Amino acid sequence: MQITVNTSACVGAGQCVMTAEDLFDQDDDGIVMLLDDSPDSSHEAGARRAASLCPARAIKVTD
Amino acid sequence: MSIHVSGETASHDVTNPHSNAVSPEVAAAAAAAGCPFHAASVLPTDGTPTHPSPRFAEWRETGPALPLDYNDGHRGLVVTQYDLARAVLEDPRFSMRPDRMPLSDTAPLHESPPEAAPEPELDDNAREALDTASVLFLDGDQHLRLRRSITGRFSAKSMRDRRAIVKQIVARQVEHVLAHGAPIDLFTEYARPIAAANHCDVLGIPAELADEFRAKFEGVATTRDRMDYVRRVVDARATDLGENTISDLLRSDLSRNEVDGLVMTLMSSGRDSVAYMISTSMVALLTNPEQLAKLRDDPSLIQGAVEEFMRYGTMFLTVFRRTATEDVTILGVDIPNGTSVSVSTVSANRDDRHWEDPATFDVTRDAFGHVGFGHGAHGCVGQQLARVEISEAITQLLAAIPDVRLEEAEQLSPLPFAHPVATYEAGAVVVAWG
Repeated sequence: MQITVNTSACVGAGQCVMTAEDLFDQDDDGIVMLLDDSPDSSHEAGARRAASLCPARAIKVTD
Repeated sequence: MSIHVSGETASHDVTNPHSNAVSPEVAAAAAAAGCPFHAASVLPTDGTPTHPSPRFAEWRETGPALPLDYNDGHRGLVVTQYDLARAVLEDPRFSMRPDRMPLSDTAPLHESPPEAAPEPELDDNAREALDTASVLFLDGDQHLRLRRSITGRFSAKSMRDRRAIVKQIVARQVEHVLAHGAPIDLFTEYARPIAAANHCDVLGIPAELADEFRAKFEGVATTRDRMDYVRRVVDARATDLGENTISDLLRSDLSRNEVDGLVMTLMSSGRDSVAYMISTSMVALLTNPEQLAKLRDDPSLIQGAVEEFMRYGTMFLTVFRRTATEDVTILGVDIPNGTSVSVSTVSANRDDRHWEDPATFDVTRDAFGHVGFGHGAHGCVGQQLARVEISEAITQLLAAIPDVRLEEAEQLSPLPFAHPVATYEAGAVVVAWG
């Protein structure tokens, strides 16, 4: 599984941090920071949920 | 300050030849939305925060979007279903700009300003501040640049440090409640002071100007009065920069007018809604005692419970309206260029296409993904702080007064909508114990 984030689209709502704290954080400006771009499959549900809830559609998860 | 919008005064005579309410395009959109044209609608006034009008359920059955009459006589759409609500709110083809709105010199039905004395003239800088930095009325990059000047202070990351401050503010207010004794109105004596104190702290309003903040923004004041106050606060903060939002803005590359305009918006937003949510969450708990007991006995449930408070007690019947900037087909609904679109977050959060048994209040359900803070680029920028405030306010109150009971809540009967978009009012929430 591969995760990518689009920092220029991010609106800093923090939904991803709430959903999957082990994969995402926010920098000092509130913009998404990817903590792990290829986590193991145990993180898949969290990653996909964060992607589906992102208000800016700034998170992509691919196999 | 509130206004009452009744169904009678709101209904619009579509045969009036002087009206330009009905465009064929919007009629077509209504038909495409699966709705007979005559079923034009106004927002129902017979609901309460925890029991929205049954009309919303009928509307969701009729279609994902239905005609909505605005009180300037034009007709747009109200979005009723969850999936379409999220899709519209995250779609940049819908504009927030007032100059995109049909007949934008007059207020829509549920966005009528309260009756007030004529506004005194604003000076040029004040006008520029409001024009360039009203984040709720801007789109795209212009909006994102301003939004990003404040997202750092309100991020989930910032809340890790801020929680200690919120805890302290709430603890002080719990002491006040205990010293006051029962019966007590939680809205005025608990929720509002917590929301105001947190607002002052995160924005960086100097202590000597804090009382005036509540007088100017909870009470009635003209835009000029408020803008004068904003400038005094920003002037004071400029001589004493610190770890707060106004200092962040002053350190940024924003112009002084942009800073003033943003601070004006920030002072106007979020405070009443947090006070509303704390009050309404308590009403939901006190009228569902088994849910209250669950949460009181296991405070670790609070994080999920806050999401359920937001879903079940949603404040905004509709969020600020959008305007389609081109012909849009979205989830099978055709929305012509120029159509006003109001998304009903109350309705979306009760949509049984998305939520199992949506009328049931359940602090253990997975309510994440609700649109109680709005959604998309304009979703509530303060939502992480709001979550911390609500969670601390409820947890600490239940711990301090485990036998709290409801004496009377005004919001159990329909109250007039609050201004400027249709929102529920918290009303007095009187509790007792012992």
